Amino acid sequence: MTSQHIIDPPEDGHFRNGGNNQPSPTTLSIDLTINGETHSLDIEPRVTLLDALRERLALTGTKKGCDQGQCGACTVHVDGERVLACLTLAAQVEGRSITTIEGLADADGTLHAVQAAFLEQDAFQCGYCTPGQIMSAVACIREGHAGSDEDIREYMAGNLCRCGAYPHIVAAVRQAARELRS
Amino acid sequence: MRDFAYLRADSVEAARNAAALPGAMLLAGGTTLVDLAKCGVAEPATVVDISHIEGLDAIDVSAERAVIGALARMSHVADHPQVKSHFPAVSEALWQAASAQLRNMATIGGNLMQRTRCPYFRDPQNFPACNKRAPGSGCSAIGGVTRGHAVLGVSEACIATYPGDLAIALVAFDAEADLGDRKLKVEDFFLAPGATAEREHDIRPGEVITAIEIPGSAAARRSTYLKVRDRQSYEFAAASAAVGLELEGDGRTIRDIRVALGGVATKPWRARAVEEALKGKPLDEEIVRKASELAMEGAVDHGANHYKIALAPRVIARAILKLGETA
Amino acid sequence: MTVHEMKHAASDSARLEAVGGRLSRVDGPAKITGAAHYAFEQRLEGLTHAVLVGATIAAGKVTAIDTRAAETAPGVLAVLTPDTIMALKTASDWFGTPPPDRPYCPLAREVTFSGQHVAAVVAETFEQAVAAAALVKVWYDETPAIVDLSDGNAGDGIAIDAMTKEWGDAEAAFAEAPVRVCAAYNTPREFQVAMEPHGLIARWQGDQLTIWEPSQWLDGMARTYAEWFGIPFENVRLVSPYIGGGFGSKALALAHSAVAAAAARMLGRPVKLVLTRPQNFTSYGGRAATRQTVAIGADRQGKIQSIVHRGVNETAVDGMWVEPLGSVTSIMYATPNFSSKQNVVRVNTVVPGAKRAPGENPSAFGIECAIDELAYELGLDPLEIRLINYAERDPHAKKAWSTRQLREAFATGAEAFGWAKRSREPRSMRDGHQLVGWGVAAGTYPVRRAYGEAMVKLLSDGSAEVESSSIDMGQGTYTILAQTAAETLGVPVEKVSVKLGDSRLARAGVTGGSRLAGVMTGAVYKAAGQALDELIGLALSDPRSPFHGLQANTLVVKDGRIASPRGDGPELSVAELMGMLGCEKIEAKGDTVPASFTREQRYNNYTTIAMALPHTEGDYSRHSWCAHFVEVRVDEDFGTVRVSRVVSALDSGRLYNPKLAESQWKGGIIMGIGQALLEEGIVDRRHGRIVNGNLADYMLPTNADIPDIQTISVGIPDPHSSALGGKGVGELGIVGVAPAIANAVFHATGKRVRDLPITLEKLI
Repeated sequence: MTSQHIIDPPEDGHFRNGGNNQPSPTTLSIDLTINGETHSLDIEPRVTLLDALRERLALTGTKKGCDQGQCGACTVHVDGERVLACLTLAAQVEGRSITTIEGLADADGTLHAVQAAFLEQDAFQCGYCTPGQIMSAVACIREGHAGSDEDIREYMAGNLCRCGAYPHIVAAVRQAARELRS
Repeated sequence: MRDFAYLRADSVEAARNAAALPGAMLLAGGTTLVDLAKCGVAEPATVVDISHIEGLDAIDVSAERAVIGALARMSHVADHPQVKSHFPAVSEALWQAASAQLRNMATIGGNLMQRTRCPYFRDPQNFPACNKRAPGSGCSAIGGVTRGHAVLGVSEACIATYPGDLAIALVAFDAEADLGDRKLKVEDFFLAPGATAEREHDIRPGEVITAIEIPGSAAARRSTYLKVRDRQSYEFAAASAAVGLELEGDGRTIRDIRVALGGVATKPWRARAVEEALKGKPLDEEIVRKASELAMEGAVDHGANHYKIALAPRVIARAILKLGETA
Repeated sequence: MTVHEMKHAASDSARLEAVGGRLSRVDGPAKITGAAHYAFEQRLEGLTHAVLVGATIAAGKVTAIDTRAAETAPGVLAVLTPDTIMALKTASDWFGTPPPDRPYCPLAREVTFSGQHVAAVVAETFEQAVAAAALVKVWYDETPAIVDLSDGNAGDGIAIDAMTKEWGDAEAAFAEAPVRVCAAYNTPREFQVAMEPHGLIARWQGDQLTIWEPSQWLDGMARTYAEWFGIPFENVRLVSPYIGGGFGSKALALAHSAVAAAAARMLGRPVKLVLTRPQNFTSYGGRAATRQTVAIGADRQGKIQSIVHRGVNETAVDGMWVEPLGSVTSIMYATPNFSSKQNVVRVNTVVPGAKRAPGENPSAFGIECAIDELAYELGLDPLEIRLINYAERDPHAKKAWSTRQLREAFATGAEAFGWAKRSREPRSMRDGHQLVGWGVAAGTYPVRRAYGEAMVKLLSDGSAEVESSSIDMGQGTYTILAQTAAETLGVPVEKVSVKLGDSRLARAGVTGGSRLAGVMTGAVYKAAGQALDELIGLALSDPRSPFHGLQANTLVVKDGRIASPRGDGPELSVAELMGMLGCEKIEAKGDTVPASFTREQRYNNYTTIAMALPHTEGDYSRHSWCAHFVEVRVDEDFGTVRVSRVVSALDSGRLYNPKLAESQWKGGIIMGIGQALLEEGIVDRRHGRIVNGNLADYMLPTNADIPDIQTISVGIPDPHSSALGGKGVGELGIVGVAPAIANAVFHATGKRVRDLPITLEKLI
């Protein structure tokens, strides 16, 4: 974040209306740390993290299902916690560590236990909600909310799946949680 | 979404200064502001990102009181062991709200600023009339699809339901919002629409919520939040109740009781009539059910939301009786 | 003449990779790592972004559009209105009916439904396009709209004579029947709600148009684009590698598709246009709202004497959709007298469309609730009455069933569910505050058949490729075609690659009506057989082959190795053999199209639905069948209904991959749970507009709403339905779920809810 975007209160401590103190919309130059790599972007402040990923960085694994915080398809991790990229401004997460589905498997391609369990349990059909489901499931297990099927169902409820893979998603999360514990 | 300037505040002081700019809006978790900006409801000239201010996310809880920093996130408060033990209704209201992802984003301060989910409010393109958005323009909801709308605290100007969960618990236990220069009861922070539907919160330009304080009490320790909705999760309440209970030594007579309602009113709704009717009374199903009906005094329905008048007292009664079963 | 034998021995089915094996999705690794690029995720140089402006009235005229503010907004390249968008030609419909010779404008001057596209903005970035679209000002001359079926001006609608099915004297027999039930059943407007929204990228290179668009029907949509722009069919390429769910919604090129393609042509740059989630509720049709009355007359033993059925569905002012409401009513139970008639009513809505099991789904809701009501009227068990009236043959077509394992479904499902322990009286089962109810209902879906083709290539390294312009939207096409080719060719499945979703590949008809698996496994089986024949023929005839001169008339290929059937003589890998033969590849395009078909007929076979084979062709009536057993828990105070247990026994014939078939069945059942309890497009009747067109207010079930679901396959191979013995899978699962739940709710509460969805205020 360049200094022009940080608020330096005027000497008397008050902004005045209008004049030079009125900030104007401007393109921001930001660095985003995604899957351990730094990406420099020049973007408008209104660009969401989701559109930055999909339209600017070719990281299309994070899906846009509703673009209004109602489906979970855009779930990514920010500083290790699951959030919705569609309601996150890209500028807001500068300095944070972002993980997307593309960064979940090991560098050598070894699948994360959750990914492997999704494949084995057939926990998806069309695959469009799947990256969000998987990112959510990884966090769900990490949070300690995968202790029972009832917990898994509740804490995975923010990821809609229209193909109806829910019972298999529960099975996959249960399986992965067990593997990650042992 | 209209373009806006982005400023990042690194202190509360900077946030207050920036919040006083014309057209400035504070951004914490973003779950309300970014959403409403996409709907075309919020059109900030400047977005002031306060999410990076250090130290505003502390959660400090004892039996006497909870002090929760405005930037504490919903999920962290919900899972906090002392919140669970001293203020179970607060934890339950939080984890039943929204989804895990949204609770990781949304902050406690931001949650108090959450706006209604009235579909007419959220669609300015198709429904220009909305007294909340454009004072004096009328209410598109009245006469329209009202299944989710409020029956309590409504006016001719607005029947939009307050959608949140946390504030219901806060109101039940007399929580206060810290606005820096002043503190006020969360119950008074929220404003019923009356003739000024555009004013939802008693907050002035340049004010920033910095913390929520909840006094501890026996009723808060023995409390619960019951939320009834069409689907099991990830939905706003059809009706909900935050209830706290303290019994006399006989284990049967009600010494203190707190009841607040969600999903049915234009603001977080304290049901004092129910509380008064039950104080000193035995915890008996018939008595509780009858007293719970008092919550609906003055209720006005608009057709499709009529069911809420029957539903809400049942939610209150179930919550109280459930607490009675837990020693 | 060489012959190779291809047998599907029972032992083969146990193998993971063979047809019938539980192979995991071959497209799975791409989908779980984010590597799968869906249609409009392609990166293109110079890509621009388009955003649509929708009408805010349901009926009337656009009188003026002020585009000035939008045109001068940052990044804006064009603002398209009905006056400025290029003229297109009207395209034929999906039956291939020649279109009227008049221009087609995908932006409306005459508005017939709320949300109809009236303008579009194209800009350099998505954000700029969104912002500028909000600046377009439209003025209307609004006229009264007909908002829904209950509108006072809706009338009785248009009688659809083709839907009439009658035998005996149904009305008289009903009047004389000693036991009668008669009730009305309503289903609301529902939506498909694929998680991937509709959208596309359109790019022109000269007169060549490439469209990246999620599609259930590449060839049909390519035809539409070609006709809109007056270019040869071959000039249009549709690419749709993965589809994020369709459920019937993604089979047609729609107005927004035309806008994007026209904008790309006008600007000379590729255009991406993706509908917003709210626009996905107004830009194409979901399931039409329906109303039915079902009257059943029976004797005192429960034997049905007559069924009288009347149905109506909504359609659009400027388009026709018939949701066949008598489709299940007319075949599920044996009855000597029957009458079913249907009307459609025009209302101001986007043209309704296909949603999972169009027709069968609402039809089953009517008849399967009505028979339950009859069971209570007679004091019979709901399962028993279904067996008393079991149709031993198709009562409408008067033909034998090809296969009908419905009796087995009832028996197997009831056993697994524990139906025998059910207490008969409503409100007789309880768990604390929860009233517990058990319900049953049957479902069915016809076997839709069509002719298909596929390309199979055997490559010099011993691997194989399957190519088809058919698609995989989650049903598992990639996987089962790999299995079919592997088994037919005798090569390991990991050596088979399947290419789908590109209209340059071998042609395919629509993916809908649960027909694709049957059509495409048949085509791949045939093409792979031809490729194998050619390989074996070369092996036996080519002097360079070690099999040359062998006293054998065929060879066997297994696990990628080729040998004589008796095991004498040489054995070597297919790759080695092809090396010796100097053969780069063997290509075989196989099809199941009748040899008599003309070029025109072949074209229509893939680009229209007019050539599909009737399911009652010949001596048999072909359907898949199922029985759903459901437990619900209804809170006695709150009226909330939760499904706590589902056991479904299903007959889809032979399963090509049970793992994937079970997933599809469960998906259908879950969509049925949503239909029963949650889903309804709610219309503001003052404005003729859906007010809950988003995923918070149009509620799909969440994970927390869905219990464990047990599915049991009771099918047997059906040789009359498809080459490999399978029947339909995808649509079947949803049919009968909503009535099973409604019946369970009645058993729990004693209250019969006949209007979906069963929301809490109906039970409180």
